[in-house]
Amino acid sequence: MKETNVENLISLSNDLRWQIGDEFHDNLAEGIYADAAEIVKGSVRNKKEKGHLRFDAKLDQILTSKYLGFPLMFLILAVVLWLTIVGANYPSAMLGSLLLDTVHPFLKDLGVTVGLPVWLNGFLIDGVYLAVAWVIAVMLPPMAIFFPLFTLLEDFGYLPRVAFNLDNLFKRAGAHGKQALTMSMGFGCNAAGVVATRIIDSPRERLIAIITNNFSLCNGRWPTQILIATIFVGAVVPKAWSGLVSLAAVIGIAVLGMGFMFFTSWALSKTVLKGEVSTFSLELPPYRPPRFWKTIYTSLIDRTLIVLWRAIVFAAPAGAVIWLISNVHLGDLSIAAWSIDFMNPFGYLLGLNGVILLAYIVAIPANEIVIPTVLMLTVLVTGIGGGAGAGVMFELDSANATGDILKAGGWTLLTAVNLMLFSLLHNPCSTTIYTIYKETKSLKWTAVASILPVIMGFVVTFLVAQVWRLLS
Amino acid sequence: MYNYNPFWALTIFLAVAVLGFFLFRPSKGWFWVINKGAKKDKKELIEDILKLLYHSENEDKPVNVNDIARILNDDEKEVLESLSEMAEVDLISLSGNHVKLTKAGSDYALRMVRAHRLWERFLAEKTGYDEADWHHIAEKKEHELSAAETEQLAAKLGNPQFDPHGDPIPTNTGKVAPINGVLLSELETDTIARIIHIKDKPDIVYKQIVAENIHIGSHIRVVEKSPERIVFHAEGEAFVLAPIVAANITVSVLKKDVLFEENIARLSMLQENETAEIIGISREMRGESRRRLLDLGFVKGADVKIDLPNPLGEPKAFLIKGTSIALRDNQASKILIKKS
Amino acid sequence: MEAAPKSACETCPQYNAEGLKKLGVNLNEADFVVALAGNPNTGKSTVFNALTGLKQHTGNWPGKTVTRAEGAFQYNDQKYKLVDLPGTYSLLSTSEDEEVARNFILFGRPSVTIIVADASRLERNLNLVLQVLEITDKAVLCLNLMDEAERNDIEVDTRTLARDLGIPVVATSARYLRGIPELIQTVSDLANGRIVCKPHRIKNIPPNIEKAVTKLSNEIQAVYPDIPNSRWLAFRLLEGDNHVIELLRKGEFVK
Repeated sequence: MKETNVENLISLSNDLRWQIGDEFHDNLAEGIYADAAEIVKGSVRNKKEKGHLRFDAKLDQILTSKYLGFPLMFLILAVVLWLTIVGANYPSAMLGSLLLDTVHPFLKDLGVTVGLPVWLNGFLIDGVYLAVAWVIAVMLPPMAIFFPLFTLLEDFGYLPRVAFNLDNLFKRAGAHGKQALTMSMGFGCNAAGVVATRIIDSPRERLIAIITNNFSLCNGRWPTQILIATIFVGAVVPKAWSGLVSLAAVIGIAVLGMGFMFFTSWALSKTVLKGEVSTFSLELPPYRPPRFWKTIYTSLIDRTLIVLWRAIVFAAPAGAVIWLISNVHLGDLSIAAWSIDFMNPFGYLLGLNGVILLAYIVAIPANEIVIPTVLMLTVLVTGIGGGAGAGVMFELDSANATGDILKAGGWTLLTAVNLMLFSLLHNPCSTTIYTIYKETKSLKWTAVASILPVIMGFVVTFLVAQVWRLLS
Repeated sequence: MYNYNPFWALTIFLAVAVLGFFLFRPSKGWFWVINKGAKKDKKELIEDILKLLYHSENEDKPVNVNDIARILNDDEKEVLESLSEMAEVDLISLSGNHVKLTKAGSDYALRMVRAHRLWERFLAEKTGYDEADWHHIAEKKEHELSAAETEQLAAKLGNPQFDPHGDPIPTNTGKVAPINGVLLSELETDTIARIIHIKDKPDIVYKQIVAENIHIGSHIRVVEKSPERIVFHAEGEAFVLAPIVAANITVSVLKKDVLFEENIARLSMLQENETAEIIGISREMRGESRRRLLDLGFVKGADVKIDLPNPLGEPKAFLIKGTSIALRDNQASKILIKKS
Repeated sequence: MEAAPKSACETCPQYNAEGLKKLGVNLNEADFVVALAGNPNTGKSTVFNALTGLKQHTGNWPGKTVTRAEGAFQYNDQKYKLVDLPGTYSLLSTSEDEEVARNFILFGRPSVTIIVADASRLERNLNLVLQVLEITDKAVLCLNLMDEAERNDIEVDTRTLARDLGIPVVATSARYLRGIPELIQTVSDLANGRIVCKPHRIKNIPPNIEKAVTKLSNEIQAVYPDIPNSRWLAFRLLEGDNHVIELLRKGEFVK
């Protein structure tokens, strides 16, 4: 009985829709706004001429002006990044010495005291604990500085103006101006950058922003870039210039990342994402003074801790795997040594080596532990002195000592350059991959976002290696 | 460490890359060409023949067996085989060289037309594909949709009446609404009319019309008519078309008392310090984008002015109903205004 | 201890600070469900935080709350569960945010819906308000950001507005907790049926469409006599909203 009634209703609505034609939605929307205008006329009195607050208008004229808009934008971004990188040094060093130099040996001793078998002690403390501690020490301080700063700018209302200023560039690449912000957020952490794409309300542009976020060097990769550039690139030129040149190399890599971001965005929008719906709208909200402490508190809770927690969850098993492959032996070689031998030819072809490839495979969970893993594996396969034992990641205080180990592992300037390139162009870390899946709810786009950058990394490093060898 | 010649590695890589490019580059890649050129499967061929017959019977231009092979650009032998097969299952009646659709055949053809037009409507409303691509995609898709899928699609779109070109979509019982209109090429000067249909064939003409930004639903006024050219005004712009092209556009003449706004402009032409009133959103804005603009307050009667110019030219921010909203030029150019 | 005589303000129900308890995320056994709707960037999340004592992030970004957040407060021994819906400009489109907001107001059957609006941009905000009023008749308009409106020299006559809209209107500045006690009192009055709304219905619709809407909504009433929003349902059916059609077939509207 009810069912036939429902069907009747539906078919009646179909008939009526055919009668009133295609413009129902327009008419309804216009009708609602007409009602709204009538109501407002009766109850709102505007003593001033309609428009923005004077202060807002003034500020907007400066922040989006032809000459000042861009310099101010870059200045603000530079200040934020500088505060993050410099400001994070001290807490990072403190956390590092606490978690890695004090707590680690203590736990190790504790394990011995309570009578844990050596292998279990190694597995838990050298593997799982060390990876987690490393991620916290490297990741927490920059994020705890970067995200609150970013959030303050957001609450003030400046970020929509950045999107407004830059939209034209992004439009040419088939993307949305707000991608500028998700990219900047990616400089802090790609997973957070992917979450931030929620502000892009157009499906096609949002997917583009998600897939290309990985081209922003995240704070897990900045230290790698800086270290390698200092050791190898800086050494090419006279001492006086080395600092400047290595800095230029790092910035060059970051800019190259932006180039890849624009190119990939453009290519995606022209091919696989052609059919996704694309709309554009950008509201410029009034400026509002942010509430400092509240912002700091919520950004720590909302962004930093959530991302950190995910990273820890992923880093723990990675630490276990790293320890296992270095300590489980097949025949007379560890699994790590076997895989490195196996991958060496391919690594050589790319101007890298087996150690680097293996490090990138086992360190998928966190870019922070790539260099410690590389060092540990290098010591393991070359058999030179130093290091802390099989499966125990380590880092050295001096860049020179690190360079010595790497050079003993057969590293050249080419290896260094290609490592920097590969650090930019490889799969996102597993936290980011998981976040991409959560945000897109699509295995397909997650796979594209994960695999596309690795392929680009292979191609770019391969080409650089061949040209390098031809020329040298 | 390893001995190999980087030159050869590079050469092999480049060769593979070039080959890949030629194989898979969008639309012109060999892979796609070969794929497209591969023999159509029998079902597709039969369905294409049915559609061809349906359209030609509708336009009163009967075709014979030879025409079919020529128009479809297909192997004559295969077409003949298909035709005899179709006659066997009573989709067509063959007498000598003449082909005629039976009732069953015409029903089948209508179902194909329905699927095609529904899919075009879907592409227009729910995806971001370019207008010029709709026809090709629908041409493929119509063969893949089953009857049940077609009905689901219709329901999802709210059982629409017309496809984006203004062609009626046959109902599932086979009813087709007639297009009662005049060809633009036959319109007298000074008549006011509304575009109700744009023919999507032949391809070249259609693409030209799309490129001119002429759209269904626009009100037009013919200002000049000669054997060489037809000039008309629509939505604040003047258009010049060759009569052959104009013959692809069908309009319905509006009564004399309909007001034709001559001083309409587009929001993209608004200068700083000017204010304007919104007249409406052009029909070329569809689906989600159109709804979004309406929701944001770009409705008939709203006052609008430029709030902020952009350092890079676009998007400009417009002050609409008390809020600053940035729109790109390609959106602003689809909002019709009257400067005040 | 001797009870000090209370000031007039303290005894006034609108300032019943003792009756209010912010419960954070403690959602157990709520007596009433309250939905929080509104345009993006109207300080909706600030209102949410002011009511629940939670500290959800409230960015100055249109469209911050993407998933819906929940919290609770207690007032005069009654527990209220508060659901913060995604900020939307409208409920007529098909984006994910709007669907979440629309479905909750429709099927979550909130006892009261608080619609947060920006006092300086009332006309734009009324677009959503009028749509919500087509769906539910237990609503209160929270006219937020009054401080900004004052700085802008904009005056809103809340009485006339309340009369025109047919629902109570409360002026607030949630950042400074101004007007929040009044808002809570109004919500409680609405939930307990002490205030009855007579919400505004959309009027400026072309006659041919109005005729179709009336015809269809009458039919709907005939089939479902106790449905409160037959007119809105008629709008959706005429729009061809597939989602609503499906729900109708499943019988979701008669629960």
